[in-house]
Amino acid sequence: MTRAEATPVAPDRAGTGAGRDRYLDLLRSLALVRVVVYHLFGWPWLTVLFPSMGVMFALAGSLLARSLDSPSRSAPSVIRARLRRLLPPLWLFGAVLLTMMLTAGWNPLKDPDLGGGWTNCSQLLYYVLPIGAPPYPEHLGSASGLLDDTWAEQAAGPLWYLRAYLWFVLLSPFLLRAFRKWPLPTTLAPLALTAVVGTGLVGIPGETGNAVTDFAVYGGCWILGFAHHEGVLARVPRYAAVSLSCLVMGLGLWWASGHQGPDGWDLNDIPPAQACWSFGAVLILLQYAPSWRELPGGLRRWDGLITLSNNRAVTIYLWHNMLIMATVPIIDLAYDLPFMASDRAAGLLDSTYGFWMFVLVWPLIAAMVTAFGWVEDAAAGRRPRLWPNGSRRGRARRRAL
Amino acid sequence: MAARTRRRANAMAARTRRRANAADASRRRRLPMRLTLPVLLLAALMAMLMLRGYVHSEILADHRIRPEAASDRVPEKILDGGPVIDTRGGRTTSLRVPDRHVVLTFDDGPDPAWTPKVLDVLKKHHAHAVFFVTGTMTSRYPQLVRRMVAEGHEVGVHTFNHPDLSYQSKKRVDWELSQTQLAITGAAGIRTSLFRPPYSSSADAMDDLSWPVTEYIGSRGYITVVNDRDSEDWRKPGVGRIVRNATPGAGKGAIVLMHDSGGDRHQTVQALDRLLPRLQQQGYTFDNLTEALNAPSAHTPVAGPGLWAGRAWVLLVQAADGVTGVLVVGLAVIGASVLARFALMLWLSVVHARRVRGRRFCWGRPVTEPVSVLVPAYNEAKCIENTVRSLTASEHPVEVVVIDDGSTDGTARIVENLDLPGVRVVRQENAGKPAALNRGLANARHDIVVMMDGDTVFEPATVRELVQPFGDPAVGAVAGNAKVGNRDSLIGAWQHIEYVMGFNLDRRMYDVLRCMPTIPGAVGAFRRTALERVGGMSDDTLAEDTDITMALHRDGWRVVYAERARAWTEAPESVSQLWSQRYRWSYGTMQAIWKHRGAMLDRGPSGRFGRVGLPLVSLFMVVAPLLAPLIDAFLLYGIVFGPTQRTIGAWLGVLAVQAACAAYAFHLDRERMTHLVSLPLQQLLYRQLMYVVLLQSWITALTGGRLRWQKLRRTGVVGAAPGAAGERQAA
Repeated sequence: MTRAEATPVAPDRAGTGAGRDRYLDLLRSLALVRVVVYHLFGWPWLTVLFPSMGVMFALAGSLLARSLDSPSRSAPSVIRARLRRLLPPLWLFGAVLLTMMLTAGWNPLKDPDLGGGWTNCSQLLYYVLPIGAPPYPEHLGSASGLLDDTWAEQAAGPLWYLRAYLWFVLLSPFLLRAFRKWPLPTTLAPLALTAVVGTGLVGIPGETGNAVTDFAVYGGCWILGFAHHEGVLARVPRYAAVSLSCLVMGLGLWWASGHQGPDGWDLNDIPPAQACWSFGAVLILLQYAPSWRELPGGLRRWDGLITLSNNRAVTIYLWHNMLIMATVPIIDLAYDLPFMASDRAAGLLDSTYGFWMFVLVWPLIAAMVTAFGWVEDAAAGRRPRLWPNGSRRGRARRRAL
Repeated sequence: MAARTRRRANAMAARTRRRANAADASRRRRLPMRLTLPVLLLAALMAMLMLRGYVHSEILADHRIRPEAASDRVPEKILDGGPVIDTRGGRTTSLRVPDRHVVLTFDDGPDPAWTPKVLDVLKKHHAHAVFFVTGTMTSRYPQLVRRMVAEGHEVGVHTFNHPDLSYQSKKRVDWELSQTQLAITGAAGIRTSLFRPPYSSSADAMDDLSWPVTEYIGSRGYITVVNDRDSEDWRKPGVGRIVRNATPGAGKGAIVLMHDSGGDRHQTVQALDRLLPRLQQQGYTFDNLTEALNAPSAHTPVAGPGLWAGRAWVLLVQAADGVTGVLVVGLAVIGASVLARFALMLWLSVVHARRVRGRRFCWGRPVTEPVSVLVPAYNEAKCIENTVRSLTASEHPVEVVVIDDGSTDGTARIVENLDLPGVRVVRQENAGKPAALNRGLANARHDIVVMMDGDTVFEPATVRELVQPFGDPAVGAVAGNAKVGNRDSLIGAWQHIEYVMGFNLDRRMYDVLRCMPTIPGAVGAFRRTALERVGGMSDDTLAEDTDITMALHRDGWRVVYAERARAWTEAPESVSQLWSQRYRWSYGTMQAIWKHRGAMLDRGPSGRFGRVGLPLVSLFMVVAPLLAPLIDAFLLYGIVFGPTQRTIGAWLGVLAVQAACAAYAFHLDRERMTHLVSLPLQQLLYRQLMYVVLLQSWITALTGGRLRWQKLRRTGVVGAAPGAAGERQAA
């Protein structure tokens, strides 16, 4: 009823207008913080508390739909622009990571996990264009070394996100066309695909399989981003949207309860549950999107951090896991401090280790943002900035008073 | 540094709080109280449930058993040695029971059925034994442990809830020991130094995984006691077999393993009764362990704080057991009454619908004379025009009286400026809705009076349908069918479901039972003579509509439901508005029930209402919802600890019943079923809100608190009765 009444050209809540939608910015910041905390502590319930990756893909989908909507730009130029913004930060990260791994003794030619030989070494090209997730050794160095011997895996682990993002960007012109023609089937298609490839019904081997599974799992969120941008979500009666999302989320939880992975309820190990839970949560979050021009009262004090984390999202995402690893040798220095000699002090540090990692990782991230964040500006063709938290000098001075 | 950050955060929070308080002190101060008590009650209930689950091994139970492992790291002398293993203070020694001594040991108890019988047999043959009790059973049946100690038996620790200790951390082992000691102390006022690990057998069965645990337990000051002879009574192999298994070889001493818990133990009891005299004849004595070893007793009396902690623990467990026992019965009663209510409602609404929809049904002569419509309005500027215009479109001749109750937003002027024929405005100083209605009544010219809210919109046929029942001279008042206009929001959809069910099931049932508790303020009609006989509206309660309806019942009038008299109303859009509306309703209903409690002792129609209507209404509207949180508490407990699948299954079953009832109600009202999709969520969020409100009303009622008038903020969403409804009616 509501749907039929609405005009096809509905006023666009998210897209138009010069300013950013601060609600979406807030969601992106929350997602980033959640990812860092999850990678730090590894608590499985965090994946249930806030489905970060789904939210990030939904926001990206919404932004991409906005770009594709612009009448002055063709789809290929939009894709080119997206790649130009995405790839330089990755190249920088890849250069640093590859240098570290090669100096640590990784020989991609002889790595048995890659299959060895030149053909498989072509996978290294994924560091240039991540059509697949870039390769890394599972163990490097020794367990007793400065870093844990899985550091390469830890550092390169988050790169799958770039691969998935790239797939979505490349396919978006088609997805958006399909969505406009058949909104409901297109929105539900990724969930259906997950039911096929994510449940073990059909297994696709290798990196292609991972790519297809990730595409299916987060495709629903990406298309919900489209729906948000197009104003379609706003036309669905709220009771129906929320009730149905809760049913989908319930379905996800039910599936998860019967198919727990090595970490129990960690949804990252349970694709169908992740797909359902993320889809439902994103639908609710976007259904209630208030479209803020600026943050409301209580949140305003976080304005600078939210702006900063949004401007440096790629940098933070790429580097955070390596920086989490880097906190370990730094904290270990504390054991050598004179007042740490007693067993009790050492035991106290042992038991609060995670907390100190958490405390230390943020300054490291801040340092990385100032060191390498400018690449994002350069890639976007902007004037490089050191600390883009949106505050101008004048405002900063006023606040200082 | 962390501490400093926290302190600064606290200071900041305090500052924010102060500012908020200054802004709206009265509202803020009210908030905690209305939440604290219900939350505290629920928390106490959950704690009780968890304590009970904990001593019933539903929480933290671990049923894994380690398969046998290599034993190359267990000292030879332990493997070849006796069943009493002493690893205290770095020792590695083991002892055997001397010849012609048998130490009977009973594991897993105490059990309320079998332990007393075992104790009786032992007493009869003047024998002592050792009972390795679990903490859970000791906590539940402390008096049996007290009896064991009093009758000269020894008590040992068999862990708290019987896990295989080789799987457990040191922390958990420590906890198992100390928690069991706490229970034993609470039961019998002693500590014990005897220990038997679960799933143990003889000393030569020690392996590389259980030996370190034994060593660790020794370091905590315990002597580990395994056995020489396993009676295997848990297999229930027959009395003769148990006796043979338990009998030591030719005059040798032995520690014999038996069980006084974990199932039917009548074979054990009978075997004891045969074994004891037979071995005693052979010169055996049955001592407890330290007597047999000629060592100082394993028991040490406990006094002071330790004793009190133990007693408090046992008392708490007893209380939790008792309370939850009562609760389980309560839950069964609620469950049964909920289902019975659904059945009754379905049955009676079918009866009602058949009756009033029958082809030859009529109330009496058609009512065609003009009626007065009273519209009390207080700051209804946004809605009043729609309301009045909908009335002037009425198919039935009406006189409209808008009573402006001292509005400050120009409500009266808006109506006057409309300058509609047959619409009058009466102004009064703000005096409340009952006074406004009485004033309207005084100004009304006709004998039938329709009352509605200033935010409600009628269909053209509403008034006509509403007054038709007055063709029956016994009918004193008629309730219409209020419908939620703003139903596309979540909270709107929930209220929509609630309204449709309330009007199509509850009101039909009350109509048939002749005890309709409320004529909704949004749409109702009264016979003027009836109103005058009961003295008009009263402001004794916050729910003047319930009050007047009950008064009419007591005066002998029939109150009926007119399903086709639809009125479209705007439901609260925010939780806080909904909260205050429902608080007013539920507290008002309680006030009205209390006000009319005297009807129970009356004669005639008043007495009938008092003895049938009032109890029904109290049960369904005031008492049953009070117990509803139990369902959720048990649901939560069942999902987290209990049989999760079955709990969710049961919940889904109840949901299905509710969905079926709701679907029938929607069918009766010819509503689209789509809104039912929010029914599961309604059951998970909305119902709880409703009972917390009711709980708050109870607290207010019991503490004698007062309630201010709270008015709904209107947005004017409901502009006109949807065309669809009119079409449906025409069809």
